Amino acid sequence: MELNTKFMIETFFDALAGIPVTLKLTLITLLVSAPIAFFMALGKIEKRKIAGKLISGYVSFIRGTPVVLQILFLYSLLPTLLNYLVKDVLGLSFNVFQLDTILYAYIVFVLNTTAVLSEVFRSALLTVGHGQMETALTIGMTKRQAYIRIIIPQAVVSALPNICNATIGLLKSTSLAFMMSVQDVTAIAKVKAAYGYNYIEAYLDICFVYIVLCSAIQLVFKLIERYACAYKKSSRTKGGALYARNKEYI
Amino acid sequence: MLEIKNIYKAFGNNEVLKGVSLKVEKGDVVVILGPSGSGKTTLLRSIDFLEKADAGEIIFDDIHAEFARISKKTISQIRKKTAFVFQNYNLFHNKTALQNVTEGLIIARKLPKEKAIEIGKRALDKVGLSERYDYYPSQLSGGQQQRVGIARAIAVNPDIILFDEPTSALDPELIGEVLGVMKELAKEGTTMIVVTHEMHFAQDVANRVVFMDGGRVVEEGTPDEMFSRPKEERTRQFLRRILPDFDYVI
Repeated sequence: MELNTKFMIETFFDALAGIPVTLKLTLITLLVSAPIAFFMALGKIEKRKIAGKLISGYVSFIRGTPVVLQILFLYSLLPTLLNYLVKDVLGLSFNVFQLDTILYAYIVFVLNTTAVLSEVFRSALLTVGHGQMETALTIGMTKRQAYIRIIIPQAVVSALPNICNATIGLLKSTSLAFMMSVQDVTAIAKVKAAYGYNYIEAYLDICFVYIVLCSAIQLVFKLIERYACAYKKSSRTKGGALYARNKEYI
Repeated sequence: MLEIKNIYKAFGNNEVLKGVSLKVEKGDVVVILGPSGSGKTTLLRSIDFLEKADAGEIIFDDIHAEFARISKKTISQIRKKTAFVFQNYNLFHNKTALQNVTEGLIIARKLPKEKAIEIGKRALDKVGLSERYDYYPSQLSGGQQQRVGIARAIAVNPDIILFDEPTSALDPELIGEVLGVMKELAKEGTTMIVVTHEMHFAQDVANRVVFMDGGRVVEEGTPDEMFSRPKEERTRQFLRRILPDFDYVI
């Protein structure tokens, strides 16, 4: 077997053209999901009964189904449903099937990422510990002030590694957008490959693209983490308490 | 100044406070003793509404309220008159020592920043931390952290300071520095309620000792009465166990 290097180089540059779409899918999804997920996490922690149950149900459902299945479901269900809503219920003459399919991609990824991030935020908020909230209350701060000034700044820092994880997971799963004929990195490469059956070359290309993208994200998060952890200056925090403990006792 | 009447509190089926009453006059240093599980901490936390007591009354100067039907406004009024020092310090980890002290002044009491910093520095000087204004909690020893906790409490100029086992989480070597600060405060006439196992502190500093067991006040009196002539068998038992060399006169 021989690799078609000429095709490979060509396709590599073609696939690069898909990067904006891939990044757009990732970024916009994150920006929409994060605030929703945050309030869901808060709702669960503050023990709002009905809301808490609904959120738990939602998270279990999303986590319990493969992304591919969610895409298949939504992509076949949503357009028809929307069409029915627009035409029959609202009586508008708008053609739903003309909508950019990237919209459905956003919906699927937002649904998914919100569920993932709500758990990330919940665990992060819990790491701060109730004691600091109590202190804030005893010195006369309101719950809201305590969250904004004390709890959230710390929670964000401890959530960073998991947010990084979720972002990378999201970026990789945007490759499934090709199923909804969104022209992202994967879709472009697949189309090119299908033309002359040069699948291996195309896959190697996008493999490289994804590795670079994901590495870049990790780097960005590392920088943010270094900046945000300024208050954990002691030697103890390098690698966490566990690290220090092991060093002491082993 | 502060009076608690017949306070009740249950966690589920577990009755922790079964009708405790407590009266504190201005300048009093009241030490609450008792075995673990006797309700000392819960009593203290209920006074600052960190636990919601089921029944009972609280009278604080001209405020008169029932625990079961207390309004948010009354809670915040009483919290403004009190300060709480926690067993595990509960400093804000994302704030420096000075910021820990000034946070409540600036955010909750709306003091101008310069004024708050002035008060904060004075409070930290008083507990012997004038060299540590800009240290984060992770850079301070346990004893230093607890002294910041005390500085935070005195900075708000409260009518009464509640200490919940302030030295229990400390190394024996560091206990002295914290007790020293507390002694100093007592000398200046600060009103305090202290839950502690430090018998010497109780003997030397308290002007009233309350012994609790099983959610009730078993006995109370001056340190002299309590340590040398306890009336109740349960008190004697407890003191014998906690002070092996304890020798009382009948």
